[in-house]
Amino acid sequence: MIAAHYRLHAGAIGYSAGKYSHFCALYPRQLFVSKSQMENICAALEPLFPCREGAIKTLGELIGDSREDYPSALYLFGHSGTGKTALTRTFLRECSRQQGVRIAQLNAIECYTTKIMLENMLDTLAPRQCTEESVRADNMLEFVEQLRRWHDQGGRSQSFLIAVDNAERLRDMDANVLPVLLRLQQLTSLNLCVILLSQIPFEKFYNKTGLTEVISIHLAQYNKAETQRILGSDFFQVRGHLLEQFSKDVQRLAICEAALTEDFYSNYLNLFLSVFYKACRDVPELQLTARKCFSIYLEPVLDGTVESTDVSRLWRHIAGPLRSALTQIYMRTEKPPEEQEGSAPIEDQSVRKLAQSLELPYYAKYLLIAAFLASHNSANQDKRLFVKHHGKQRKRMQTVNARAKTTEKMSTTLGPKSFTIDRLLAIFYAILEEKVGLTCNLLSQISTLVHLKLLSFVSGEQNIMDGSARLQCTVGLEFVLYIGKVVGFNVRQYLCDFM
Amino acid sequence: SRLAEGTPRRSIQLSNIVEQRVFKDNEIISTPKRGRKTKSIEDADADYSPRSVQKTPTRTRRISATAKSTVTPIRGTAATSASAAPITPSQKLKKIRAGELSPSMQQRSGKPVDESRKSQLQLAREQLHVSVVPKSLPCREKEFENIYSFLEGKIQDQCGGCMYVSGVPGTGKTATVTGVIRTLQRLVSQDKLADFDFLEINGMRLTEPRQAYVQIYKQLTGKTVSWEHAHTLLEKRFTTPAPRRVTTVLLVDELDILCNRRQDVVYNLLDWPTKSAARLVVVTIANTMDLPERLLMGKVTSRLGLTRLTFQPYTHKQLQEIVTARLGGSEAFKGEAVQLVARKVAAVSGDARRALDICRRATEIADTARDKCVTMLHVQQALGEMIASAKVQAIKNCSRLEQIFLQAVAAEVTRTGVEESTFMGVYTQVETIAAFMGVSLPPPGRALRLCAKLGAERLIISEHSRNDLFQKILLNVSADDIHYALRVGEIAAAN
Repeated sequence: MIAAHYRLHAGAIGYSAGKYSHFCALYPRQLFVSKSQMENICAALEPLFPCREGAIKTLGELIGDSREDYPSALYLFGHSGTGKTALTRTFLRECSRQQGVRIAQLNAIECYTTKIMLENMLDTLAPRQCTEESVRADNMLEFVEQLRRWHDQGGRSQSFLIAVDNAERLRDMDANVLPVLLRLQQLTSLNLCVILLSQIPFEKFYNKTGLTEVISIHLAQYNKAETQRILGSDFFQVRGHLLEQFSKDVQRLAICEAALTEDFYSNYLNLFLSVFYKACRDVPELQLTARKCFSIYLEPVLDGTVESTDVSRLWRHIAGPLRSALTQIYMRTEKPPEEQEGSAPIEDQSVRKLAQSLELPYYAKYLLIAAFLASHNSANQDKRLFVKHHGKQRKRMQTVNARAKTTEKMSTTLGPKSFTIDRLLAIFYAILEEKVGLTCNLLSQISTLVHLKLLSFVSGEQNIMDGSARLQCTVGLEFVLYIGKVVGFNVRQYLCDFM
Repeated sequence: SRLAEGTPRRSIQLSNIVEQRVFKDNEIISTPKRGRKTKSIEDADADYSPRSVQKTPTRTRRISATAKSTVTPIRGTAATSASAAPITPSQKLKKIRAGELSPSMQQRSGKPVDESRKSQLQLAREQLHVSVVPKSLPCREKEFENIYSFLEGKIQDQCGGCMYVSGVPGTGKTATVTGVIRTLQRLVSQDKLADFDFLEINGMRLTEPRQAYVQIYKQLTGKTVSWEHAHTLLEKRFTTPAPRRVTTVLLVDELDILCNRRQDVVYNLLDWPTKSAARLVVVTIANTMDLPERLLMGKVTSRLGLTRLTFQPYTHKQLQEIVTARLGGSEAFKGEAVQLVARKVAAVSGDARRALDICRRATEIADTARDKCVTMLHVQQALGEMIASAKVQAIKNCSRLEQIFLQAVAAEVTRTGVEESTFMGVYTQVETIAAFMGVSLPPPGRALRLCAKLGAERLIISEHSRNDLFQKILLNVSADDIHYALRVGEIAAAN
């Protein structure tokens, strides 16, 4: 049944059904039909994860029943926010609660050495009788031996499930980790299944020596209708929250109670998704923003200016805030969107804010401008730009053509080029009207700028003093323009691109 | 801090089994220990009753932690400590380091098969086994004479010296040298020659060059000590003159493994013979002829001296002679069968082991065919198995898409002219070939899987699939092999 089902659902990467049936034959166990175990788990999970019935059913049929043999490895993949981790965690917890399966869940990011991963796994997997002493496993061999020992003690009554989150990190660990995990069932002869979770497909995992087969299950991203259903599933929670908020204000409470229907909420979500769905399909992100914007949406209704059924007027009210919230997505700033509203576009504002918040000394500002000019002007233009009496230059057709730059050639779009500290200081002295001494304060400000990551070393970090180190300016044009405005220096005038 | 990095200060090899070469007639080459003569060896064997494999304490930690009861208490020298008090692992370790417990192996419960019940082919197969070294090696008489005269001269003159023996693998270097030593030991037992000690180390059996000191000292006294200690003790032994010092013959096999960057071990081993007090004769064996000039430092090369001997690869006549000598009077082999083996092997390497292995395989084939005698056909089949490449078969047994993929790699190599192609270019070729053949195209993800499978089978050489479209692919089989495998297959399918 499982093999047949697998062909239907997880046919993306072939899994030899013959091998699996061979495995079943190796371990003849009482395979009486017990749909109840698997169905119990599926029934427990389906209310929690709407629109994931297919994946839950597949998982249930593969590892739902601990009395049946598990497949040796599962690979669950999908985008971020598709519920891989949550689904697996709940599934394993249900398995553990209902069937007494020993489970282990770990994140491969936390395991920067193999030993940590193995010992974490052993600690959580250890059967009840030997939980008191913590187990040691220095390498894969000891890990497998330890598991085999449990097999000898407990017989095959115990089943194990191991879930490894962020499985793409396994490729960077020791070369034997992934191959061993994929065939851990065969090596330990336990009823054990390793579930790997990742955002990339399994075709990125093949190493030079080959891997054993794995069943991969894809968690597809939700479409618009599904997203709306998931966002709408917390209606009662939102309503309860709002009613509690207005419990003092009797008038608002009454309006709120009358207006807050499921239809109203789904209308709102429809409007919300019509703006947001193009930019983002990440459900947690959408949930967060939808809650934030709902209070603004509700505002005219509570004030009594707009009827709760008048969708078009509500849309006119909410369209502005939604658009401005769209520019704030993925930023996770805890500020209501109405504060962000202003005449200037948001991106501009954020750069200005950053420049304002960064308080640099006067010379450091000039150094930064000089670094920007050094990065974005070619060195052979320096004489013309910065030397006062650089002689006459005859205008020739050739130079005019060469200078007629298209936007692709503009160095502000191409990215910064590297420069030496000597050139930085030369430009600094050229653009600074007064003559300051080359003191250690000045030089230390360069290194401070490097520490603040406004400049960065491209090469020669070891030999800074002999002048062969090359730097790069890492701030954008707007930032430098703003700093120039503060100190009263026109940066555009000195940029080749704008001549 | 003086030590090179990675040198464990105290790495005492416990699992090193005392080297005892047992030849056909149970003749044992071993160091005649001062004081206790050959009797002591027999003693050790007698009172050491092999009980269980776990006496070699290679995995003591785990065993002692969990299954303590399974460790049989060892009565070291069984008769003396009959109190049956179980000794702790550290006591056991101490005894092993002192050489009081000799490592033994578990013995079989059944008895080995009687000689008389073996068939002629079976006897021939046993005679042809590589480990059965004959008493006198055929075709190596001149080399034997050379080494014999050198060693006999050195022992009689009671001075030290060095010799360097080289030759490609399987040309009888070690067998000849140990044969000379055996002859000399026989002379000693007949009182026709002055007594000498024989020590033997092999570079490949050491985890690092400095362990050579430990092994040499262990063969002199039977004790296992750290290499620093062993080095000082050996230094003391070889530099201070002592009356009634006998000559020591040291055989150093795989000399090139003992060469590290500092070459201190090789230098010491070759410097001790120059001391007048040492009376050390070092015979070094290696594969490359120009090793002293290529790898060793000037002072080491000059100490190695110019007494050299090169073992040439066997010609087909010599190989024929060797195999015929092995078979003795047996009728198990046809004459031309032996000649075929000899000619085929001599043309490739001149390795006697290879010839013997092929002959053994031929006897097995003849056995399964229920023939009494090995004929040309059996030898041909054995040669096919042991020399012919399996790549064409592997390509023929690939799946359809894998074959298309291999064709595509070959096509991409012909198109660009460069050996190394990227996955992207190969996939374009796969598209073309699949469209041409009218089969449906695998998506790139599946093609990566095909690529990984072929890479794991080493039909191609590919990178990790994480940089999918840009991974480099090399063809590990020749393009002609692919065409041959697939074209011949097509014809067979058409018929």
